[in-house]
Amino acid sequence: MATDAGIIAIGAGLAIGVAAIATAWAQKTIGAAAVGATAENDKMFGRGLIYMVLPETIVLFGLVIAFLLIQKM
Amino acid sequence: MFKPREMKRALIIGAKHDLGKTIELLHSLGVVHIIDYIPSEEEDRLILGAPMENASGVSQQLLKLRSSAQLLDINPENPPVSAKMTESQITKDLDLKIHDLELSVVSLTEDKNRIETHLKKIDDRISQLQPFVDIDIPLELYSGYEHIMVFSGFVRDLKKLTDTLPRITDEYDLFSADDDEQVIALFIAKTHAEEAEKLLGESGYTEVKLPEGNGLPKQFIEKWMQQKQELSEKLGQTNKELLEYRKRYAEFILASEEYLSIEVQKAEAPVRFATTTHSFIIDCWIPSHNLIKTKDALEKETDGSLFIEDFPVKHEEQPPTLLENPKPVKRFEFLLELYSIPNYRDVDPSFILSLIFPLFFGLMVGDFGFGILLILVGYIFMTKFKESEGFSNIGWYIIIAGIFASIFGLFLFGDMFGMTFQNAPAEGMATYSWSGLLGINIPIPSLIHKMEALGLTELLVLSIVAGTLHLGLGLLLGVISERKHNWKHAVTKIGLLCVLIGLAILIFVMADWTWGQWLKPLKHSAVAPLLWGYLIPAVKAGVYLGQLLIPYVTIALGILGVVIILVSTGGFGLIEVLEVTSHLISYTRLAAICVAKGAMAFAFNIIGLGLILSGNIIIGIVGVVLLILMQLIVLALGSLSSGIQAVRLHYVEFFMKFYKGDGVKFTPFKYNRKYTTHE
Repeated sequence: MATDAGIIAIGAGLAIGVAAIATAWAQKTIGAAAVGATAENDKMFGRGLIYMVLPETIVLFGLVIAFLLIQKM
Repeated sequence: MFKPREMKRALIIGAKHDLGKTIELLHSLGVVHIIDYIPSEEEDRLILGAPMENASGVSQQLLKLRSSAQLLDINPENPPVSAKMTESQITKDLDLKIHDLELSVVSLTEDKNRIETHLKKIDDRISQLQPFVDIDIPLELYSGYEHIMVFSGFVRDLKKLTDTLPRITDEYDLFSADDDEQVIALFIAKTHAEEAEKLLGESGYTEVKLPEGNGLPKQFIEKWMQQKQELSEKLGQTNKELLEYRKRYAEFILASEEYLSIEVQKAEAPVRFATTTHSFIIDCWIPSHNLIKTKDALEKETDGSLFIEDFPVKHEEQPPTLLENPKPVKRFEFLLELYSIPNYRDVDPSFILSLIFPLFFGLMVGDFGFGILLILVGYIFMTKFKESEGFSNIGWYIIIAGIFASIFGLFLFGDMFGMTFQNAPAEGMATYSWSGLLGINIPIPSLIHKMEALGLTELLVLSIVAGTLHLGLGLLLGVISERKHNWKHAVTKIGLLCVLIGLAILIFVMADWTWGQWLKPLKHSAVAPLLWGYLIPAVKAGVYLGQLLIPYVTIALGILGVVIILVSTGGFGLIEVLEVTSHLISYTRLAAICVAKGAMAFAFNIIGLGLILSGNIIIGIVGVVLLILMQLIVLALGSLSSGIQAVRLHYVEFFMKFYKGDGVKFTPFKYNRKYTTHE
């Protein structure tokens, strides 16, 4: 049972960690483009912010899966 | 409050001799949004209007005034006045005043520039001659020879020069100053001048042209220094006079600039109208509730000689948006416009935004101490940045969010600065609580404990509840705003609503135990038989997929929703089912940030309090400083991410369900007076 718990913990960690990397990867590109757009036109700020935060949902999927896994421990 | 103001399109047609009066009245009423006339090739009987006769004169005055204002460095960001001037005060001798002001300011500024250039020249001369003070030869001796050539300047390699010169000739005299700069004066027979020049070039020579005149360099410099002194005094005097002008005329300049801007705005208004030889046509939008009043005023002013016709909004027209909200809600229009200005047919979500945005913000912060600090920070924002619309609005949002955060902190989480008021029930590690620290029992329980697995489960379920309600409201608003324009979209949204409720029920059944806890207080109430007798068994009935119980209600609602979507928009609409699913899960960020912020404060408290309670005074002091710093970091990071995430939940998840945006803001034909009053 102890090994099971360990494997589950590793799985939960991977779920949120890898999802966070994916989010960061997506945000890196979008963020740079959004800042560029805002520099050219102030009105793009709102829209830029939206595009910027879109990938954050990915890490939340990771969080939910991690949480469901942890509950099985 | 929930819809932009209703508009009517109006045509105001009249004879040209009424144009001035009409513009004057429309400007003072300030309720019409003029539609610029764009000449078309098919309609050649209508031409663009020409500015009023006084336009060029007023513009010129304005130009003069602005140039004076710029020279005196008067700008609206730095207003030195508070009193308002009346128009008659301004117009009295306006021409003369502007003319005089311009003359004196321009001449003073020219004086100032001349003196500054002169000063700079003298400085240059002094710095050039200064090294020659050490050589100490009168300046008249540097020139006027028949057989001697004189080189004066700097060399880079003095040693090379002194070593090599004797090889060329002995008919020379070299003076040099014992200085870092290696200044030289070389007097050499003209016959050897060419060789000497070559040698100088190799030694890195740069020539300095010395001034003509009689006397030692020192005397020259003294003379110049004296000149410089006099000029500086003069400059100070001129600057003082300019400052005097600035002080004396700032009020007048700001007020008359505003007055003239208004006059120019009015004088140039006809350029936006269509005209014929003898008449004009003003095409404009008027809020319906102002229509009668405007019509009456216009008719009275021109003795009924105007023809005014109004039309209801046509389907293809896009009227400007005028939002009408009470002041506290109005501040949230800024947040709305940051996303996009609502269009005329949109629902105005300002009111909902003003409630739910700070609610989410506050829930994520969820701490009594940080809540109070947020209220303070918001207050500082509002008072410090009164001039900036954006910052003072943000201050307002922070204050309301702070109030919600304090309420959640006090009644739901029972914590302050990341520490609960009462001891956490049976946790393995060393934790602190306010009751334990202060040694008194503070009777504020934590209904949800952020730092326990159970607390996280409860928060996640709470997030899903919030998400279901928020998204459901968004979809309902979508149905309401779409039903008249595109019934297919409206029906699709009803389908999505079915899917959303089905999904939510599935998640609630998964979180069965949590719900059981929350519903416990109802066990002995009147609704208990209904709940436990019918509702809960009905929801819980379902099939098992592995370990997962899928309720029949979810299956039924899911199938119903999908069928509705398939019928109304076809297979493509199914993408929206996925979207709603991911949006619902997206609300778990409420729980995630709440816990992450709480955990950060919790960890910092263990570090800081550990140091403070260590018993050593020095370590204790370090601990206090560290703890304050760390708490400030939590406040900054926590409120920043909470704020952004709360905005995001509205912009992305909520608005996408019903909000179109891309509207045109209602800009009335008027001027917001700051320094003048209308008589």
